[in-house]
Amino acid sequence: MIIEESVNSALDSIKTNLLRSLLTALAIIIGTAAVIAMVGIGTGAQQAIEDSISSLGAKTVSVFPGQKKKRGIRSSWVALWLNDAEALSKDSEIAWRISPEMHGNKQVKFGDKNANFSVNGVQPNFFSVNSFILTKGKLFSENDNFSRKRVAVLGNAVQEELKIPEEMLLNKEIQIGGISFKVIGFLGEKGSGGWENTDEKIYIPMMTASTRVYGRKWINTVRIQIPEGTSINKAMMSIERVLRREHDIGPGEDNDFRIIDWSQIQQIQKDATAIFTTLIAGIAGISLLVGGIGVMNIMLVSVTERTKEIGLRKALGATPRAILFQFIIEAIILCMIGGIIGALLGTFLYFLAASFSEQLPFVLPILAIFGSITFSACVGLFFGIWPAKRAARLDPAVALQYE
Amino acid sequence: MINVDSVHKSYDLGETSVHALRGVTFSIEKGEFVSIMGPSGSGKSTLMNIIGCLDTPSEGTYFLNQRNVGQLDEEQLAGIRNKEIGFIFQQFHLLPRSTALENVALPLKYASVQRTEQLSRAEEVLNKVGLSDRLSHKPTELSGGEQQRVAIARALVNSPSILFADEPTGNLDSKTGSEVLEIFKELNEKGQTIVVITHERDIAKQSHRTITIKDGEIESDSMN
Repeated sequence: MIIEESVNSALDSIKTNLLRSLLTALAIIIGTAAVIAMVGIGTGAQQAIEDSISSLGAKTVSVFPGQKKKRGIRSSWVALWLNDAEALSKDSEIAWRISPEMHGNKQVKFGDKNANFSVNGVQPNFFSVNSFILTKGKLFSENDNFSRKRVAVLGNAVQEELKIPEEMLLNKEIQIGGISFKVIGFLGEKGSGGWENTDEKIYIPMMTASTRVYGRKWINTVRIQIPEGTSINKAMMSIERVLRREHDIGPGEDNDFRIIDWSQIQQIQKDATAIFTTLIAGIAGISLLVGGIGVMNIMLVSVTERTKEIGLRKALGATPRAILFQFIIEAIILCMIGGIIGALLGTFLYFLAASFSEQLPFVLPILAIFGSITFSACVGLFFGIWPAKRAARLDPAVALQYE
Repeated sequence: MINVDSVHKSYDLGETSVHALRGVTFSIEKGEFVSIMGPSGSGKSTLMNIIGCLDTPSEGTYFLNQRNVGQLDEEQLAGIRNKEIGFIFQQFHLLPRSTALENVALPLKYASVQRTEQLSRAEEVLNKVGLSDRLSHKPTELSGGEQQRVAIARALVNSPSILFADEPTGNLDSKTGSEVLEIFKELNEKGQTIVVITHERDIAKQSHRTITIKDGEIESDSMN
């Protein structure tokens, strides 16, 4: 009974002072909207990073060239060679899969169309190591690699960028750096892995790249897929052992190559996103507290304005507790209205951000929505108590005479 | 029913204190129609606050229906105001944004009466004061006399044992004022105990007994 009367009276009071109520709730609205938008964008970004982890395959590490270090001084860069990749392939301690890459940018021409692409020399196992899906045509074979065939497989975005339909390109000749290649296959969309877009690349056999396109035997990187059941640390130690032997590095000398554990990098990215999200959410939380103080202020004004009404209610039999209840409920409803408007606004902002970004998925942040509405109700409860207590303590005889 | 025994009330104003009541003793029996009269500043409002359980005496005792009001806490006083006492004020004191029906039902909400019963009882008393066609009107849509009749209905809705009216005709013209007094007389004939606070002798004369207050003391107490 008293709850119903309190809610009605609260809504009535908010309606009567609509502008004042909305201005008071503004800080709550902004705070909640910021929380929802940031939590939404944050979790969306986390989701994107997780997706890119699984798209890479759970356990891959990459080896990059490094610098020789003699007596603490870094000197020249030391290349990674095709031989290094071969030595890794031949090592039988771990059943890993070795996929060297040789890449550079080349002008690509088809008829009157031309564009610049990253052209990657890879071995035939590259596609399965990186879990690519073939959508049309075929991939190149070991045989194509050994016989240095001029064949090319196009990443998903290449044909789009050239603005030529797939059917017109398949089994046709394109010019890569002035050399004629036959397009034999198209890859499915893989999306950006965060640091590179594998869809915007052209893939050709490693030996073809080495002898016909780039004319070199050093490679840019080796990607190594580690089998399930083998720890990444153990695999990294094996890689170190093989490459130190190949590069003739004596005991006590530093590596002249770098091994990068992608899952670790992704973890760092995830952690950074999480810290960023927490930070923004914290700032938003402060805004909610500031909003709470605003609500407390306006509730004090409301109590003073309605001193006579409080006196009347008390004369008609309202207990101090009923009055306390009435004003606390008013503060809670005021904050919750702010919370609900803020949640809608925040979800809308997140939705906008998600629809403008290709990488950010939209996942309705239900937990954050309910959480922040509940939190704003708690803000109302906390900051409503003091004004409500003042109202409850008013002397009815004095309050009735108040002008 | 009401037993006031040497009641004092003083207000502390820092260094000085004001003695609003200096030993007031009287009693009112069930079914009486009493007026308390006195000029402003005489202490009659303070007396009304005390016997209306809005305030407690500094000294002396006040029994309402055999209960010592001075010993009750806030919650108990609220309960007495809700069930035993009906207030009528000079300024009507209606909630401006609620309908006549909701205004009359308000004391029943604090008595935790079922919603449907609230409305039926509120409607019933509004019928009694002749406002059956004004149920969903808001105070601003009613005349002064009608507003005061809504306030009377509100005071009666919980069937109180005593009705207090503080200058009930003070904001009304003489015609509507005498209409309100007619309602009081009718209610009193049906057995309702009524206490009217006023500074007008004409109004006091219409009650059965007049208690005159001056400077915080009873000056006279006589039947009319």
